[in-house]
Amino acid sequence: MGVVNLDGYLRLESPIHRWTPHLKLAALSALMFAFATVQTLALAPLMLGSTLLLYGASRLPLRFLLQRLRYPGLFIAAVVLALPFASGHTVLWQWGLLSLKQEGLEAMGLVVCRFLSILTLGFILLGTTPFLSLVKAMRSLGLPPLLADMTLLSYRYLYDMADTLATMQQAMRLRGFGRIQRWGRLNSQVLKQMAALIGTLLIRSYERSERVYKAMRLRGYGQAKPASTPSLAADPMSLALTLLAGTAAIAVVIAEVAW
Amino acid sequence: MHIPDGILPAQLCIAGYGITGFMTWHSLRKINQQSNPQESLPKASLLIATFFVASSIYIPIPPASVHLILNGLLGVILGYFAFPAIIIGLFFQALVIGHGGLTTLGVNAAMMGIPALLAYHLFQLRHRLGKPLRPQIATGIFAFAGGAIGLGMAAVIFLTIVITAIPADMDAQTEQTAIVSLAIAHIPLMLLEGLFTAVLATFLQRVKPELLEGQ
Repeated sequence: MGVVNLDGYLRLESPIHRWTPHLKLAALSALMFAFATVQTLALAPLMLGSTLLLYGASRLPLRFLLQRLRYPGLFIAAVVLALPFASGHTVLWQWGLLSLKQEGLEAMGLVVCRFLSILTLGFILLGTTPFLSLVKAMRSLGLPPLLADMTLLSYRYLYDMADTLATMQQAMRLRGFGRIQRWGRLNSQVLKQMAALIGTLLIRSYERSERVYKAMRLRGYGQAKPASTPSLAADPMSLALTLLAGTAAIAVVIAEVAW
Repeated sequence: MHIPDGILPAQLCIAGYGITGFMTWHSLRKINQQSNPQESLPKASLLIATFFVASSIYIPIPPASVHLILNGLLGVILGYFAFPAIIIGLFFQALVIGHGGLTTLGVNAAMMGIPALLAYHLFQLRHRLGKPLRPQIATGIFAFAGGAIGLGMAAVIFLTIVITAIPADMDAQTEQTAIVSLAIAHIPLMLLEGLFTAVLATFLQRVKPELLEGQ
């Protein structure tokens, strides 16, 4: 699976990296939702511009963005490429049965701009905030504790499970799996073998979870503890950035409604 | 089968988060009614990690290969933990492979999670309706129903949202035809997902029955 190392650029120094996580999460989420409201093409340059400004301020390399955009980009291309031909009535260019239409082209431009802006903001958030801080920030903004604990534990074992699966698949290949394939039909043997592979993986993780639970109990998990209130203090720079992003989000929504 | 950022209007994204919030509240309430919810937490968490990894496996159907969604199986094995599990899985997908999106997380979670809970309840029916059958056969049949309907319902919701939200000026009739014909195209995938869930559930019942008995 295309697991990307998330922590690659966390050590960079930038105002976005220093932005207090819960404020960053709240402000960038507000901006993402505000961008999702945009229906006016004239607001698109503003949206892209402010996103680029934030990306520049985060000092994340362009390579990071391009690498992350590749996969979702393919999906969005598959969805919107037909739009300029299927939608609208003002024909800009005709070639046989194919006709390029203005309204469809504008709709496609808008979807692509919204997609790029929202996704880039997401990558800024994820690329500059350690995973643990992000979950803590969500927790301080009201994520139920059970969900936060589950997220952290699953993340802890995600890469372990990926390694176990890779080892098991290698063992299957070494024993000849995948050599003989009959074209055009689903082999019931293959289905059984794949089910056994995933089933064994599930059993392994289930048995492992029993040991993990015992280890957690031994370390005091589940004992009553004084409720810790996460500190919500923030430095002036973080407050300024939050104010700026919040104002931008409100401005975008107002502009969209007023247009 | 996830909706990426930028396609849906904000109102729909917010409505998605609303539905997901309600369903999470409902699931957590049911989980907390269990005898020892904390004991189930590591189990659910490790199984989430496993499901996440397993959903990247491709099943070779020469000349192509398909990858399974596994939301029905998730419901069958995790019960009420399936909904939070799907939220976490989708969050990881947005985070780790850039699949789906953060603004559309609510919509995607509802689209996958509600069918998963339905699959769980269908699978539960084996205790009542499957009594006359041999346990292996009852497990197989109800797991098939859970897996197939889990994927089928998710596919119908996905197609309806994508086709109605994409800003093309199609009339209602064309949209309806497109949804129905694309949904019919998903029937083979539904059968495959159901078959796979059935084979896997009977495998688990043979090898590690407590994984299914917990539900």
